[in-house]
Amino acid sequence: MRDAAQRPVSDALAELLERAAGFDALCESLESVRRSGKGRVVLVGGEAGVGKTALLRWFCRERGGSAPILWGGCDPLFTPRPLGPLLAVAEEAGGPLEELVTNGAMPHELAAALVRQLSAHPGTVFVLEDVHWADEATLDVLKLLARRVAAVPVLVVASFRDDELDPGHPLRRVLGELATSATVRRLKLDRLSPAAVARLAQPTGVDPDELYRKTAGNPFFVVEALAAGVDEIPETVRDAVLARVARLSTAARSLLEAVALVPPQAELWLLDALAENVGCLQECLASGMLAADPSGVAFRHELARLAVEESVAPNRRVGLHRAALAALSNPASGEPDLARLAHHAEAARDADAVLRFAPGAAARAASLGAYREAAAQYARALRFGHRLSPRERADLLELRAGACYVTDEYDQGIAALREALECRTAQGDRLREGDVLRRLSDFLWCPGRTAESERRAREAVALLETLPAGSELAMAYANLASNCLAAQRSEEAAGWAARALELGDRLEDTEISVHALATLGVATLGAGGIVRLEQSLEIARRDGLAEQVARAYVLLAETAVIARRHAAASNYLEAGIGYCSERGLDLFLFYLLAFRARLQLDQGRWADAADSASAVLRVQRTSITPRIVSLVVLGLVRARRGDPGQWEPLDEAWRLAEPTGELTRLGPVAVARAEAAWLEGERNAVEAATEAALSLAVERNSRMLVGELAEWRRRAGLDEEAPEGAAEPYALELAGDWARAADAWAAIGCPYEAALALAAADDEKALRRSLAELQRLGARPAAAIVARRLRERGVRGLPRGPRAATRENPAGLTARQLEVLELLAEGLTNSQIADRLVVSQRTVDHHVATTLRKLAVRTRAEASARAVRLGLAGQDR
Amino acid sequence: MPRYVIERTFPTGLGIPATPAGAADCRNVVDRNAEEGVTWLQSYVSANDKATFCVYEAPSPEAIRRAAARNGLPVDRITQVRVLDPHFDG
Repeated sequence: MRDAAQRPVSDALAELLERAAGFDALCESLESVRRSGKGRVVLVGGEAGVGKTALLRWFCRERGGSAPILWGGCDPLFTPRPLGPLLAVAEEAGGPLEELVTNGAMPHELAAALVRQLSAHPGTVFVLEDVHWADEATLDVLKLLARRVAAVPVLVVASFRDDELDPGHPLRRVLGELATSATVRRLKLDRLSPAAVARLAQPTGVDPDELYRKTAGNPFFVVEALAAGVDEIPETVRDAVLARVARLSTAARSLLEAVALVPPQAELWLLDALAENVGCLQECLASGMLAADPSGVAFRHELARLAVEESVAPNRRVGLHRAALAALSNPASGEPDLARLAHHAEAARDADAVLRFAPGAAARAASLGAYREAAAQYARALRFGHRLSPRERADLLELRAGACYVTDEYDQGIAALREALECRTAQGDRLREGDVLRRLSDFLWCPGRTAESERRAREAVALLETLPAGSELAMAYANLASNCLAAQRSEEAAGWAARALELGDRLEDTEISVHALATLGVATLGAGGIVRLEQSLEIARRDGLAEQVARAYVLLAETAVIARRHAAASNYLEAGIGYCSERGLDLFLFYLLAFRARLQLDQGRWADAADSASAVLRVQRTSITPRIVSLVVLGLVRARRGDPGQWEPLDEAWRLAEPTGELTRLGPVAVARAEAAWLEGERNAVEAATEAALSLAVERNSRMLVGELAEWRRRAGLDEEAPEGAAEPYALELAGDWARAADAWAAIGCPYEAALALAAADDEKALRRSLAELQRLGARPAAAIVARRLRERGVRGLPRGPRAATRENPAGLTARQLEVLELLAEGLTNSQIADRLVVSQRTVDHHVATTLRKLAVRTRAEASARAVRLGLAGQDR
Repeated sequence: MPRYVIERTFPTGLGIPATPAGAADCRNVVDRNAEEGVTWLQSYVSANDKATFCVYEAPSPEAIRRAAARNGLPVDRITQVRVLDPHFDG
């Protein structure tokens, strides 16, 4: 056995080898925050043991003198304490932030308080460690902070294990949302190189190749393998850790086991209750296995804790959990921590204790917005719930379902509600049975199981109508109303909504009344519906009914987008996105983001539309409507540009929408598929794509869809009579009045539709206008169709396309910036340019700076070179 | 990753000289492509310097257009392609 004391390379140094680049990147980011006052997020990813914490500690220590540091670590518990990491941060920061955390504020309030705190201390480094373990409320705070970070002078650093994120991991959603933000930078920590491993092995006499082969360069493994001090290099991290533990005295080993059983850290009073030999603590600390932190002692690394925890004999493990349970039920100070108690109760297999603590832990988590943890705590209680009565069991199941709804775990929520339904039926509680049916219907709708959703909605109404009318019945009416609305059976929807409204008013239940009023508004759009919808928004805002505010924004934005009322749509979207984004109402936010993509498409802003749609599609959610809308937008942008891959999104959208049988979901997909087929010259496919949708649209009197679908059939050359009831401007097109239709589209602000209307002209001038406009938009396939029509009329010498400069508007330059660039390329100074353009020099300075930035060049010479290449400026060749 | 051919037209001719400045221009293009996850594999330039056919790997056609906009490069047509080698073993 070698003497570990001979190791001349400290653990700390080993963990910092080959980390200079990561360190520099962090310094650079902090420098940029200080310089610009604009915040940044750095995401530090890497496998367990790669040295993320070591790097962050090093960075904070080196920079610590000059920057305030806030540090929060996430607990490695299966069901972490809600907002656990922020407790430490709030304690550090004090003031209003601490007050909010102690009083159980929601994530959006905490994020707002953090923003204020960080704005008051510019240049703060805010570290969230191990966010792959973070509870949902903490992730929400991180996400909300990241959304506003550009306006806050803070460096947010979040570390996570990037190899442990399964596809459904909640962190993925956050990462997906942050992926394209310019304020976010990713830092990936790799394992050590063979050279670095050799450098660490060299003084110890260990074979460097063998060490590298076994550890694959994982710094933690390398350190542990060397510290194990055995002749044979251990095969696994676990073996290495246990070999190191084996060098300790028996008493110290037993103390170490106690610490391993009470993550995240062992307070000294807790340790007193668990172990007899607390005197050996010094030995454990000196060995480097444990480290002291303000609240107690903890393993230096989670990998080591796990290895020790797993090595504890099962009966001793249960004994330690029982002791921890007893001690934590009666803590030395403060309130008992329910999440920790529930954890030890389950590990001690103490059913009574689980049922005593888990529901309370769940309720607390839910009240803090940590719904994922709430759902898990309810599930934990239900695992021990075989002794519960049907009523108690059903109560827990319904609570669990509520948490699942918010966390997008629909399948599990539906399963919980089905079981709750059985319990309520067995229990003979008709009122609750009816209410569960209504909730089941609501759950089933989002993932598109519409037939069953509607059946359950009707069962709920039928059952509850046999009982005295109460809020359950009012909600059942409201739910059935929105079900009918989605199917565009407007009259029926209005009928149920009116009943819900009447009953809600009678019960003085504003939430139900507002919900029903909004539904009624959409169902009666032709007859004052918008006013009702606006009214519902106003009341919901007045009474602080956040979900109803969000729902009203979604409905208002959706109806405005469909009706091509762009200015109104834009206002609702902006206000709604701000509202939902600030409060973490993500389900509604995704609807609004998808409708924004659609609006941008209709406005001819295709690059923006594709970006917006892709942002929605990056995040996996069960709710299919935002996904369908975004897939349609992405497919249409590709089809209109003549880019490849247009059918993949359109096929997926159809697979999602078609089985719902709902016009609101499948109609726009049918329209998009018809257009894509027409652009490919597949006229028969246009007919097939529109057949069923058109008859449904006629049946439901959905005038916009009737117009769109019928118009594509006419464009495809189908010889049939146009159906009645098409909306303007489609009605004009169907009647052959292309000139007025084009004017109407232009007035509405739909340039592509205007150009397509002109494409139906039999007049060379109009066709040429259509061609020029389609070329300007970059609509290559449609432009080719119009060019062919012109050539068929004997027109020769058509432009092949606009000049490169005007096609995509290179680098997003405005007309004025292009002008400035041209003059700059001629070698004019800013003041000469100002004279030439008759503007102030300040304005020119501004235009030049913006132009350089957009072209991503540093000097005027580079900008001139670019201008020449773009064909914007003359050249001699 | 999917592979694409991108056709571009330069009405006044492509201005990348075989000088250090030209090489730096190409490196800039490569850097900005990388920010969109786009890799420029190779280009074929017409004899008159007015058209190029660029072979790219990219996550999506939108990424190619974003990279082109950043670089101030025109895009006429994007086609997704796969390799067919005349000497493949049948």
